[in-house]
Amino acid sequence: MAAVNQDNTLVVATTTAPSNSKQSQPRAKTVDSQSVLKRLQSELMALMMSGDSGISAFPEEDNIFCWKGTIIGSKDTVFEGTEYRLSLTFPNDYPFKPPKVKFETLCFHPNVDLVGNICLDILQDKWSSAYDVRTILLSIQSLLGEPNISSPLNNQAAQLWSNQDDYRKMVEKLYKSPKA
Amino acid sequence: MVSDSITNASIHAAPNNNNAARDVGKKKRARSAKLKQCKLDVRREQWLSQGAVKNKDCKAEQNGVVEERKDRNNRHPFGNLGMRPGGGENDGSIHHHHHHDSDLDSNSPNSLTSSVLGSNYSETNFTGSSSSSSSSSSSSSSSGGCCSGNITEDDEGGGDDGCLDDWEAVADALAANEKPKNPCLESPPEHDPIAQSGSPQETTIGSDGPSFGVENSKSQCARTIPKASGNGLAWRPDDAFRPQSLPNLAKQVSLPNSNRKHYGCGGVPWAYSGVVSAPSTCPICYEDLDFTDTSFLPCLCGFRLCLFCHKRILEEDSRCPGCRKPYEHDPVEAEASVHGGSLTFRLPRSCSLITRS
Repeated sequence: MAAVNQDNTLVVATTTAPSNSKQSQPRAKTVDSQSVLKRLQSELMALMMSGDSGISAFPEEDNIFCWKGTIIGSKDTVFEGTEYRLSLTFPNDYPFKPPKVKFETLCFHPNVDLVGNICLDILQDKWSSAYDVRTILLSIQSLLGEPNISSPLNNQAAQLWSNQDDYRKMVEKLYKSPKA
Repeated sequence: MVSDSITNASIHAAPNNNNAARDVGKKKRARSAKLKQCKLDVRREQWLSQGAVKNKDCKAEQNGVVEERKDRNNRHPFGNLGMRPGGGENDGSIHHHHHHDSDLDSNSPNSLTSSVLGSNYSETNFTGSSSSSSSSSSSSSSSGGCCSGNITEDDEGGGDDGCLDDWEAVADALAANEKPKNPCLESPPEHDPIAQSGSPQETTIGSDGPSFGVENSKSQCARTIPKASGNGLAWRPDDAFRPQSLPNLAKQVSLPNSNRKHYGCGGVPWAYSGVVSAPSTCPICYEDLDFTDTSFLPCLCGFRLCLFCHKRILEEDSRCPGCRKPYEHDPVEAEASVHGGSLTFRLPRSCSLITRS
């Protein structure tokens, strides 16, 4: 308990400091990154234990702040059987700020642009620090099958969505397996 | 030596055609199962209350623990009213019994009978007090120790095939323990709305409520929770356009609870129930929650987090991670006043430990 208190008082000290920016930055960074480290390690454990089907993620070799994730398209959607690789980059003030999540595999989807940016509210203004990698990936997985047509990043995909058969053909045509 | 004397007592009493003694003997047999159950009860209580022994006196004096008492098969009221004097009597009669035993070998049948009566009287007395009190006050546990020893001797003296009988008695006692408890647990009406209110977060608060031990906070919880369940959802009505298959925050929060039960069990024994009902680690920073944190309920939606993450969120967007609503400051202050002293919420925890065993 003492350790927790000590650690937390440090966090408090640093979180009140950010206005001083430069001087307190190194210290804030080390304390923050320690707590972020703990959180990310715990998330990794939870994710590996959870056994969710169709999603996975793992940190890059030397940097636990950069993860690679994979999402498999859900059954009974036009993305069934396709696999997508994503990158997740965690800020130093994670989980108070959302990670940056991008598709690395081309994904023909109304809410994903051609370079892989995702328009998903929980990754922006609807972010909550109670979200984690697992819920992010599950959210993106369900976004694949249920796009928000009203605010598309990919207009062509949004227009084609109404015709699911053609959409499926387009997905198959554009799909390149990340393993290939 | 003592057991021998009792055997002598029961054997000698019958040939004497002493009706009283025979009746007593029958009663004794009939009660033996009950007595064993008592013995079990007492031992269990002793075992359970080891952690709670230090806090006993304060607990008995706490007036606010009304809810606790209801939950506990009315044990505590009996404990307060009847237990202290009853325990005294028990001790007295038991000692009395022992003294007679030691005198038995040299005494007349009459004195034997009386000693049997005496012993039976003490047993009866004990039966009453243990089933009604089973409390963790020090007097009961000490007299419990005395009685349990006494009963063991009786069993052996009765010439029963002790081994088999013991196992049967264990089964009987377990069954008998189950039966009276269930109706009592169900009977307090204020438990029902909480139990039925579904979401795991609410049940978390609900089950934690009694452990606060203060009637006000408890009833407050019962009243406020159903309200919160209406608008405390992770997705607000304006989120209705979102896919329904998106994961729910409530589910996410509840997951760690079940996972960490065992972890919490190993840590601090007397806080077991508290750890079970609330997450043992902060869902934001994954640091262990201390007792201030576990009793800290910053938002009506029931989302718990450590004080430091809460403070940090207050400095940034000041919205609850569980329901995304802005934090209100009133609930926080109310909590703080309820849990001003660490003693206040330690005691009910040890109480609820006994309830849930």
